[in-house]
Amino acid sequence: MTFTSLFRLLKTRALSCAAVAVMPLLFGGWFNWLTGPQSTFDTQGPVAKSQLDVFYVTLWVTGITFVIVVSILTYATLKFKARPTDDPHAAIPHQGHGNPLIELSLIGLSVLALVFIAVPTLKSIWYTYEVPADQKENAYEVTAVGYQWWFGFEYPAEQIEGAGQLITANELVIPAGRPVRINLRTRDVIHSFWVPKLAGKVDMIPNRGNHLWLQADEPGYFWGQCAEFCGESHAVMRFRVIALNEADFAAWVEKQKAPARTVAADAPVEGEPAAPYVFKNPGRNAPGWTPEFDAAPFTAWQTFQEVNPGENPALIAQGRQLFQQKACVTCHTVRGHAPGGTPVAPDLTHVGSRTTIAAGLLENSPENLHRWIVYPDEVKPGNKMYVGLPTGPGVIMAGYVNIDKATGKPTGHNIVINDEEARALVAYLHSLK
Amino acid sequence: MSAHAHTDTVGHEPHISYPEEKRSWLLTRPTAKTGLISWLTTVDHKKIGLMYGISALFFFLVGGFEALLIRIQLAVPNNTFISHQLYNELFTMHATTMIFLAVMPLSAAFFNYMMPLQIGARDVAFPRLNGFAFWVFIAGAIVINIGWFVKSGAPDAGWFGYAPLTSVAYSNQFAGDMSTDLWVIGLQILGVSSVVGSLNFIVTIINMRAPGMTMMRLPVFTWMTLITAFLIILSFPAITVALVELMMDRTFQTSFFDVSNGGLPILWQHLFWIFGHPEVYILILPAMGIISEILPTFSRKPLFGYPIIVFSGATIGFLGFGVWSHHMFTTGMGTVATAAFSLMTMAIAVPTGVKIFNWIGTLWGGHLQMRTPMLFALGFVWMFMMGGFSGVMHSAAPADAQQQDSYFVVAHFHYVLIGGSVFALLAGIHYWFPLIFGRKVSEFWGKLSFWVIFAGFNITFFPMHFLGLNGMPRRTAVYDGNMGWNDANMIATVGSLILGVGVTIYFAVMVYTYFKGEKTTRDTWDARTLEWTVPTTPPPEHNFDVIPTVHARDAFWYEKTHKAEIDREKAAKEAEEQSHGGIHMPSQSWFPLVAALGLLIGAIFFVNHIMIGAIAGGVILFLGVYLWAVEGPGGYHIHLDHKNEKTPKHH
Repeated sequence: MTFTSLFRLLKTRALSCAAVAVMPLLFGGWFNWLTGPQSTFDTQGPVAKSQLDVFYVTLWVTGITFVIVVSILTYATLKFKARPTDDPHAAIPHQGHGNPLIELSLIGLSVLALVFIAVPTLKSIWYTYEVPADQKENAYEVTAVGYQWWFGFEYPAEQIEGAGQLITANELVIPAGRPVRINLRTRDVIHSFWVPKLAGKVDMIPNRGNHLWLQADEPGYFWGQCAEFCGESHAVMRFRVIALNEADFAAWVEKQKAPARTVAADAPVEGEPAAPYVFKNPGRNAPGWTPEFDAAPFTAWQTFQEVNPGENPALIAQGRQLFQQKACVTCHTVRGHAPGGTPVAPDLTHVGSRTTIAAGLLENSPENLHRWIVYPDEVKPGNKMYVGLPTGPGVIMAGYVNIDKATGKPTGHNIVINDEEARALVAYLHSLK
Repeated sequence: MSAHAHTDTVGHEPHISYPEEKRSWLLTRPTAKTGLISWLTTVDHKKIGLMYGISALFFFLVGGFEALLIRIQLAVPNNTFISHQLYNELFTMHATTMIFLAVMPLSAAFFNYMMPLQIGARDVAFPRLNGFAFWVFIAGAIVINIGWFVKSGAPDAGWFGYAPLTSVAYSNQFAGDMSTDLWVIGLQILGVSSVVGSLNFIVTIINMRAPGMTMMRLPVFTWMTLITAFLIILSFPAITVALVELMMDRTFQTSFFDVSNGGLPILWQHLFWIFGHPEVYILILPAMGIISEILPTFSRKPLFGYPIIVFSGATIGFLGFGVWSHHMFTTGMGTVATAAFSLMTMAIAVPTGVKIFNWIGTLWGGHLQMRTPMLFALGFVWMFMMGGFSGVMHSAAPADAQQQDSYFVVAHFHYVLIGGSVFALLAGIHYWFPLIFGRKVSEFWGKLSFWVIFAGFNITFFPMHFLGLNGMPRRTAVYDGNMGWNDANMIATVGSLILGVGVTIYFAVMVYTYFKGEKTTRDTWDARTLEWTVPTTPPPEHNFDVIPTVHARDAFWYEKTHKAEIDREKAAKEAEEQSHGGIHMPSQSWFPLVAALGLLIGAIFFVNHIMIGAIAGGVILFLGVYLWAVEGPGGYHIHLDHKNEKTPKHH
């Protein structure tokens, strides 16, 4: 074929060609769509980088093949299309049945294209599976445990006298510039651990000792999310990873190992009580993020490590009492204050130093924490704090409400928290730096 | 029954006249040819095909409606349109409905209607079994959908129902919550239907081909029917085992998947995907078959590389059993297993690519008639190719670690299943509509529906690639507005509404055409295969006045170019058939329906744990099958009376 014939073909279809060409513009800047906090393109460590490199290989090989095949398909469609001007008595096309030589060479070419993908794939499979041998010594080990619907993090390397290993929840703090080997466990159903900027996901499967490794090259704040459907509130089972330089990490570990901070109650609460919170709706699916926080999440995290300047010791003391009275202590551990919680509820010893609550769902602001405490079922439907937790066959550790087994509906409230009580609890929890 | 024939009701064997034996009312075969009873008792593959088609299209609309609700919820971040619980039910049911109640039965509709016509047969090998397969399908569809109408709600554990989320402990919201049981039992019943239907198709294709119809002359659609049927009978046992184990766990407290008693949840995944991956090919191979019929017809040229197309279809079917763990790259299988399944998955891209090359080769040098079926077929080639390329991206396990369970996967499989299977099935409906109903869809409205569907589909699913690579996991009822997912989700929702409009136009036009469409001649498209040689459209009950003799691969094309030879042959053939007592047809029967009804009744009692009722259902099933055996094969003869013929046999 000649260029003039191609040109003639295209000329008659100038309009449709132009329409196809501007489609990307109509759809808006696609490339702005790949820069989110969970973008797999903005890699921050070697594992995610290796996975992205393989993706680029597949993208190039399939992209080039696509362009070639689609060009031929388009050409064939335009060139051989019947037109109303065609001679109705023209001979029927040649009834050819194929050409084995063309067919076999195309098969050969496809195999060759796949070899281009296969080689880097195999390399990356081995690289991403386990910490490289020469860095094994240097690797830091943590255990991530999935629960419906939150993540627990255990630090076997950080033992606390009389309390076993260091345990946190929903925010995994790791040393930067060092491989981290994460053991993946679950206490109930299958979950999946995914921090897109650091590494692809690996599932947490019952009765199976999975692991992954990742490394954050620089200190930073990373978004993660459960990636395997795990029940009613799967969509809001999220977490964060914070990578710190060596000194900061050591300081953080020391602080976390210490028991909960105690604020002496020196005086009764004074002044006018604050006006009660009015939530637009009690908070069903209400967003818990702010642009201010997102602008500099790592700095925000550092701020969260400091004691709130305006804290009210009397209110905190009241909150600490309420934490006992409202039965929070039966499930949640606050080392030093309430050591008797169960291992299946988040450890709150230093909850005030976390940037998020409700499994990475809400920024840990007083208003958000208030909403979470007062309306847990609206924030995270079906959560165990609200409906209770089955601890054995037919045994349920009660939550906010009693659930009638026959109907699945709440029959009565065990825990009701009013606005004033919630304020005290928030003050107390936020004092736990 | 067409006007030009009369029947007798002699016994099954030709040459032997049985005395009119006195039969009990229970065993008297129904003979109604019109009305409700004719449909309930039918054994005619065309009527059964139609019923499959209409039920499948109904569920296609149901599944589409579920999808629209999902898209509306995701249009904006933190939406409160539907609850998390309902969202989970909707995506579970959307997938289950589309796979098992829409695409599979729509393929089965074409298998039923077209395959016997394509091989020159008068019915399938086991006509009553065919009816049974359909009624069992309806029973399964009812069981799966009961949840919408009862307190339990619909199944909500995802269409691949990973253990232990399906256990009593994690899926039952209250004692007697049967939503997961409905899914477990419903899928088992659908499995019975699929396996029974497939065995029937295999026996039919192997035994009932017209003289001269050698295997390498089979139309490609029939070949794909055969391969699909083999895939079904080989893969459904795996999911049946898994479902039975799960049923035992849920109902009788066994511990196949119960971790606290040493069960292994990962076992479920292996069993499920060893079924689930061949299932993907069960959905796409019939589509490839349809496309391989349409492209040659509208290119006015034989299929390019027929042997390679057939062989690659078989290769896909074979390799399809060796790639299941690519659904499990993130389950920590270890390096060797991951590498092996990665390479196998790449290998399966080769026979798939071969088909694309051959379809383009078919177009090359042809005289392309751009009618509506052809547009859908070309759309299929494009869209399926895109789904194939994102599939190759998944085959690279490290890349898949980021893509698995993200919207990238959602984009991928909708390109394969809508851009692939559904486009081909919609093409097939357009293509065979004139044969089935004797009327033709308006080209303007047909093409309009194609372009609206094509645009809506791409606007919906193309942005999802970006969502996935930007870290959005699938199956999430809400997302936050700060993740960079807002635009793409909004565009996808707008696209889904456009797609909905396109599908509405498509079906409105079909319904209009059924009543008021332009009447067509028998061979509307100047087609190449035997189904177009039926004497009238719609085809008569006995399909062919004379069983055709096949001389070449595109049998009808050969007939059209060798008229004199074929006419001579047919006259001789007809005389021979008359001397054997006429055209032998199978008798209708109540018992396929009765047996299926037993299964339905038993299932409903079983999910409610009323075992006495479940046993009663089993007894009805058993009685149905027993009486089915006792009533015997039956059969009657049709004698064509040429003098009264209203339509000429050959144009």
